Amino acid sequence: MADLYDEMRNSVLEGDEELAIELAEKVLTEKGNAMMAMNEGFLNGIQEAGRLFEEGEYFLPDLIFAADALKSALRVLDSELKKNEGESVKSKKIVLATVQGDIHDIGKTIVGTMMTANGYEVHDLGADVKNEEIIRAVKEIKPEIVGLSALLTTTMEEQKNIITMLEEEGIRNTVKVIVGGAPVNQNWADKIKADGYSDNAISAVKLADELTA
Amino acid sequence: MKMNAYALSDEEIRIIHNDSLQILEEVGVRIPVEKALELLEAGGAKIDWEKKNVSIPREMVAKALDITPKEFTLGARNPEFDFAMPSSYTAFTLDGAGANVIDYRTGKRREAVLQDVADAARVFEEVELGKVLWSPVVPYDVPGGPCGILNTATSFMNSSKHVQDEVKTLDEVQYVIEIAKAILGSEEEVIKRKIYSATYCTVAPLCHDEEMLEATMELTKYKAPVLILPMPACGSTGPASLYSNIAVANAEALSAITVFQLMTPGTPLIFGAALGIINMRNGIFLEGAMETALQLSAMGQMGKYYGMPTIIAGCLTDAKELGMQADIEKVMTCLPLVLGGVDAVNGAGLIESSMTMSFEQMLIDGEIGLMCNRMSAGIEVSDEKNFFMDIKEVGPGGHFLKRKNTRTAVRSSEFFTPELANRSTYSEWLKLGSPSMFSEAHKKVEKILSGELKNPLSPSTEKVIKEIMEEAKAKLR
Repeated sequence: MADLYDEMRNSVLEGDEELAIELAEKVLTEKGNAMMAMNEGFLNGIQEAGRLFEEGEYFLPDLIFAADALKSALRVLDSELKKNEGESVKSKKIVLATVQGDIHDIGKTIVGTMMTANGYEVHDLGADVKNEEIIRAVKEIKPEIVGLSALLTTTMEEQKNIITMLEEEGIRNTVKVIVGGAPVNQNWADKIKADGYSDNAISAVKLADELTA
Repeated sequence: MKMNAYALSDEEIRIIHNDSLQILEEVGVRIPVEKALELLEAGGAKIDWEKKNVSIPREMVAKALDITPKEFTLGARNPEFDFAMPSSYTAFTLDGAGANVIDYRTGKRREAVLQDVADAARVFEEVELGKVLWSPVVPYDVPGGPCGILNTATSFMNSSKHVQDEVKTLDEVQYVIEIAKAILGSEEEVIKRKIYSATYCTVAPLCHDEEMLEATMELTKYKAPVLILPMPACGSTGPASLYSNIAVANAEALSAITVFQLMTPGTPLIFGAALGIINMRNGIFLEGAMETALQLSAMGQMGKYYGMPTIIAGCLTDAKELGMQADIEKVMTCLPLVLGGVDAVNGAGLIESSMTMSFEQMLIDGEIGLMCNRMSAGIEVSDEKNFFMDIKEVGPGGHFLKRKNTRTAVRSSEFFTPELANRSTYSEWLKLGSPSMFSEAHKKVEKILSGELKNPLSPSTEKVIKEIMEEAKAKLR
C-alpha cells in the first residue's frame, strides 16, 4: 500500500490531475480506505508542495497544479469520505470573493489555492460577487473565515459595506473577515473593523491560521 | 540620425497583428454591454448573447482602424501646453490610481488625500515634458462615489495642462463635461478643444468592464480622446510568453478600438499599453522588469503600425522607496520607449508598482525623460554640424573654446544640461552642501508648493467648478 500512497502523494505534488483522479477512483473500485488515501497519500503531496514553495523551489503555477490535483481527488472521494465524517478531522471553511463591481479575479484565486494547499475547504464565489450573495454564503456555508478581495480603490468600499451587512444580519461574530487587494492596507482593515489584512497569499494563510487557532 | 530602439521587426509586427486578429475571430472577447453587443452584431460580429462573447471578424477591425484618426491635439486649459500627436519628442503623463503618497514634508509613506491630488497637479505644472495630467492617486478622505469627479475638478483647478482620468460610471460623464464646459464656455468648444481625455483599461484576459465601457462609450459622444490600456500579465492573466502576451494585449486594444469606432465613428483614440509580467512567487504585477519594458516597447510599435497616437506605460519601478532600484528600473523602462518614438510615456511620479506617489520622484522622472529624449534625438550628421573649418583653423594642438560655433553650440540643443544631476567639481559640490538628485528635487518641490498657484482659473469659473464638486458629493454614491 505504501507505494500506492506514494503515488497519490506524487500525483498531487506533480500536479497530475488525471493521475490523481485515476488513483482516487481506484480506491473506490477496490474498496480501499478513502480516509487513509487522503491522509497518507494526497494530503502529503499538498503539504510537500507547500514546503517546496516556502523553500523557493515551487512557484505559483506549481501550487495551482498541485491544489487542483488535490481538489479533483477530493471530489472523487467526497461521498466516501463523508460516510466516515465522524473519524475525519474536519477542515476549516473559508468563503472567498472579489467584491461587487470588481472583476479582478487572479489575486483571490491565488489566495484560494494557498488556502487549499494548507488544508482549508475553500468556497470561491468568484469575482464581482453581489454583497447579498456573500451574506447568503456566510449563512449557508457557515465558514470560519470570509476573505474579501478588492483591486480597485473604488471598490474597496464594498469590503466595509459587507462588514456592515454582516453586523445588520447579526452574524458578524460568527465569522472572521479578512481583506486584501492592491489598494488595501492594515489601516483600512482597522478602519472598517475587519479581523485581518494580508498583502500576499502566503501570509493570508498564516493570518487565517492565527484567526482560527 | 535619431537613435532608435525596437523590440520587434516589421515582419514580427505583422505576425503579432495576425495573431491578434486570430484571437478576436476564434476566441473572441467578453463585452457585457448590450449597446456594444448590438453595434457589434449589426457590424457583422458573431455574438454569444448568453456568455456575452463576441467573435470579431478581421474586416471589422480593419474598418475601425481605417476611420481612427491618425492625428489630433490634446488641448490644455492653457493653450501653451497643447499637445499635438504624433509628437516629434516623447512627452510624459502622470500615471493614475495609486493609493499612497510619500509625504514630502516627512519623507514617510501614508495614505493619499485630496490635497495630494492638488499638490501633484501643481508640481506637474512645472515638469517640462509633462503634458497630460492623470490624477496620480485616489484619495482616502473623500467618499468613493464622487471621488473621480473631485479628482478631475481638483486637477483642473491646480494645473492648466491637459487632464486625463477614468470615467467609471455613466453618471460621471455629465459631470466631466460640465466641468469642461465651465472652463471652455460651450459644448462645441469642449468637443473642439479636447481638454479632457479618459483612460480605458480592458480587463485581461480578453474582457471589458461593464460600467467603465458604458461610461467611456458615452464620453466618445463628445469626441473626448480615449487612451486604451490593455494590461495582461504574462503567465497569470495572459499567456506565458512575451510574444503571445503582446498578441493578447493587442487583441484587447483592437477590440476596444472596434467598439469605440462603432459607437462614434472617427472618435479620437490613443493606443496605450500597461502589460507586464508577475512575480511568480507572490503574484504581484511587476512594472520595473525588463520583460515588462520589452512588451511595452513592442506595444508602442504596434500602435505606430496602426498609425495611431501612442501613450505607453513606462518610467516604472517596483521599488518601495526612492533610490537606486527606483531610478535604474525607471530608466530601463523609459529609454526604449523614447528610442521607439512613442508620443508619451505614462508612469512618472509613482513607485511601488504605481501604488505610491512621490513629488520628488516626479521631478527626477522629468529629468530622466529629458535625458532619454536627448539620447533619442541622436547625432546630427549634417552640413550645418560639419565643423571642418574649425578643425582646419585650429589645427593640431589648439583648442576650440574660442570658436563662434562652440559659443553657439553651448546654447543649442546639441548639449543637454540637467537640472537635478550634479556636474560640479568635488569641492564645488561640497560647498553646495553635497546635494543629491533627491535633495535638489525636494528643494524644488518645496519651492513650487510654497509659491503661488500658477495659471489659476478665473474666480468665477472656479466657483462653478466648486459647485459641480458639491453636487457630485451630494448625488454620486
